[in-house]
Amino acid sequence: MASSCPSCGAPLTFRPGTMVAVCGACKTLSARTDRDPERIGVAADLVDTGSPVSLQATGVHAGRGFTVAGRVQMVHPLGGVWNEWYLAFEDGRWGWLAEAQGRFYLTFQHELANHAPPFEALRAGAVLNLGDQGQWVVAEASEGTFHGAEGELPWRPALGATYRFADLSGAHGAFATLDYGDAAPAFYLGREITLEELRLKNVREASPRVKVLGLNCPNCGAPLPLRAPDATLRVVCTSCGGMLDAEGGKLRYLKSLKQPSVRFFIELGAEGVLRTVPLTCIGRMQRSCKVEGVVYPWREYLLMDRKGGFKWLVESDGHWNLAEGVAAGDVDSGGVNQAALRMIERSAGPEAASRMREAMEAGGAHSPFVRFKGASYRRFQDVEARVDAVFGEFTWKVQQGEKSQVTEFVQAPHSLARETQFHPGSGQEVNWSLSTYLDPAEVATGFNLKEALPAPTGICPNMPNPHKRALAQMGTWTALALGVLLAVVMVLGFTHREKLVFSRTYNLVEELAALKAQRRAALVAPTAGTASGAPADPAPATEGEPVFFAGPIEIVESGKNIEVRVSSPVDNGWLGIEGALVSERTGEVEMFEAQSSYFHGVDDGESWSEGSRKDTVYLSSLPPGAYMLRIAPAWEGPVPPVKEFTVELRSGVMRWLYVWLAFFAITIPPLLKLFQSMGFEGRRWAESMYSGQGGSDSDSDSDSGGDD
Amino acid sequence: MRGFHILMLLGGFALVGANGFLGREFFGSRKRTVLPPSVRQTPGAWRTFLHNNGFHGGK
Repeated sequence: MASSCPSCGAPLTFRPGTMVAVCGACKTLSARTDRDPERIGVAADLVDTGSPVSLQATGVHAGRGFTVAGRVQMVHPLGGVWNEWYLAFEDGRWGWLAEAQGRFYLTFQHELANHAPPFEALRAGAVLNLGDQGQWVVAEASEGTFHGAEGELPWRPALGATYRFADLSGAHGAFATLDYGDAAPAFYLGREITLEELRLKNVREASPRVKVLGLNCPNCGAPLPLRAPDATLRVVCTSCGGMLDAEGGKLRYLKSLKQPSVRFFIELGAEGVLRTVPLTCIGRMQRSCKVEGVVYPWREYLLMDRKGGFKWLVESDGHWNLAEGVAAGDVDSGGVNQAALRMIERSAGPEAASRMREAMEAGGAHSPFVRFKGASYRRFQDVEARVDAVFGEFTWKVQQGEKSQVTEFVQAPHSLARETQFHPGSGQEVNWSLSTYLDPAEVATGFNLKEALPAPTGICPNMPNPHKRALAQMGTWTALALGVLLAVVMVLGFTHREKLVFSRTYNLVEELAALKAQRRAALVAPTAGTASGAPADPAPATEGEPVFFAGPIEIVESGKNIEVRVSSPVDNGWLGIEGALVSERTGEVEMFEAQSSYFHGVDDGESWSEGSRKDTVYLSSLPPGAYMLRIAPAWEGPVPPVKEFTVELRSGVMRWLYVWLAFFAITIPPLLKLFQSMGFEGRRWAESMYSGQGGSDSDSDSDSGGDD
Repeated sequence: MRGFHILMLLGGFALVGANGFLGREFFGSRKRTVLPPSVRQTPGAWRTFLHNNGFHGGK
């Protein structure tokens, strides 16, 4: 529908659905009526935000063409403006394209089946269940003030009016807004989108994001280059400490700050590359928290990439982290578990269920764990962070002494920080950021720093466990080695079928009598042979020292050990055996010693025993051949403690001792590494407010970050 | 730690290999010796030799 401006008469167009048209000549807002357009008022000049979107740009979404028909600029309570572009689709529908901090969110109005909660009930970070419309995280509940407009608008704004809204974040980039402008909240549903996805044509010539605007401090006159003039809202002069408002590339002096001396390592304007992303340092600040009376400061560097996105480089005690924002909806803090609530209601009553529902709806505020991209992050600490010192440019109206509630969840080498900030009035917002631990050398190389960075001290919450990688490698080798050991054991079990090569029970009474007689005979005829047929001993043992000889014993297999078993029925006594296997051919002698010893009794009503009636000695393999066995028993006193004893020899005996030794040798190093790794984790979590508990609420452990 | 791990792996397999495939024993009250040539030349002289050079060095 064609019409004309009620103020200047310039032509106006009202396409289907257009409620208000803004005159391109005199900026008068005219509302559509049944008759002539109704004059609402004159809009303020729009702030140049450097947006690439412009009126009459065209594009395609979901196969339907659209034209950018209008725009409204709103002022945020923390300063700064954001754009809402209105897309008129070919089929008559309207789309809302919100633009803030270089990001775009496309939404469409939807009917809300469930009643939305009142604005006053919303809490940033809380989980909001909208029934059929899904479960959302309240990312921000705040208000915006109408600043200006152009083109055609599908709603009727009031000049200078304030509108309350809630931005909702869902999983996988889903985005929604509850608009509390009317009596019943309007629901807009969509997702974050890129201009490339919208295939925008006729866009404004994209101005380079990293352009430096050469200005001077209005307080001291020192050069004050603005490296992000489109986004910067506040600047702090490094020369005079003057805090300046920066909007539309103009500086306005606010006040002088009394800043503490802070040692920074990266200069303002320094350019570097971190994780392949070129970045420029545009601002830096020191923040701190106080826990149990101790102040813990850290330094943060605001970095801008070439597309106008921002990251933070955070340094604390020499540890460095690179942080970037993530959508609140992508962080799963558990949400409202209806089944658990029903169970609690049945078991503990409705009041307990109500309290649990509140805790669940508060989202990460009470969760011991949160999940992000499939990984579980454990709650580490809750602190109130305070801004101590600020230098350079910032994309929000930063204040010295500004406070926010920070909750940190850890999954090394990453951590998730949930930062809640309260706006002037009743607004509040929650921002999640993902930090990745960086090696100081990576920072030094990335920014080509000439000054050596201080060595990290202590353990940073998300510092990678230095033992984890080695432990994984050792685990692989250990599994491999255990497999080989198992194979070896199977082979040995097959080849070691123990073979009895000698067994004899010595009757000491008979043997000693025979020996006595033999020695007497030997004294008469020194060259007489022995009972075993062996050659006569040219110098026999003295009387009372029994020695028995046996053999020859045939050792057939080479490379097989020999087991010697000695047993006797001793009772509260001992019988020692000194033995030897002798090869007269090679002259090799294998000597051994074994003892059958068993004592027992009762002391103070307690029975006890020690020793064993059996003893075993293992001999190394002997070359195959015939061997003589020498057995020399010994005992205490004139009479033997037993009548008889037995000696057995076996070859090729499986030795589990060596298998177990190999097993321990294989497993001890990884176990030591595991203990090292666990010790590191123990020291890490000893610093946590939730060490050993995994989730108690210890908000009372932290207090204010200092005097205002 | 890596060197220690390798040493332990080699040591463990050396023990089980030497025992299982070569019949070597490393523990226990045993020792090996060789009879001196003078003893070997006299039949039966090893008996007296072992009597005088037993496990604990003779009587």
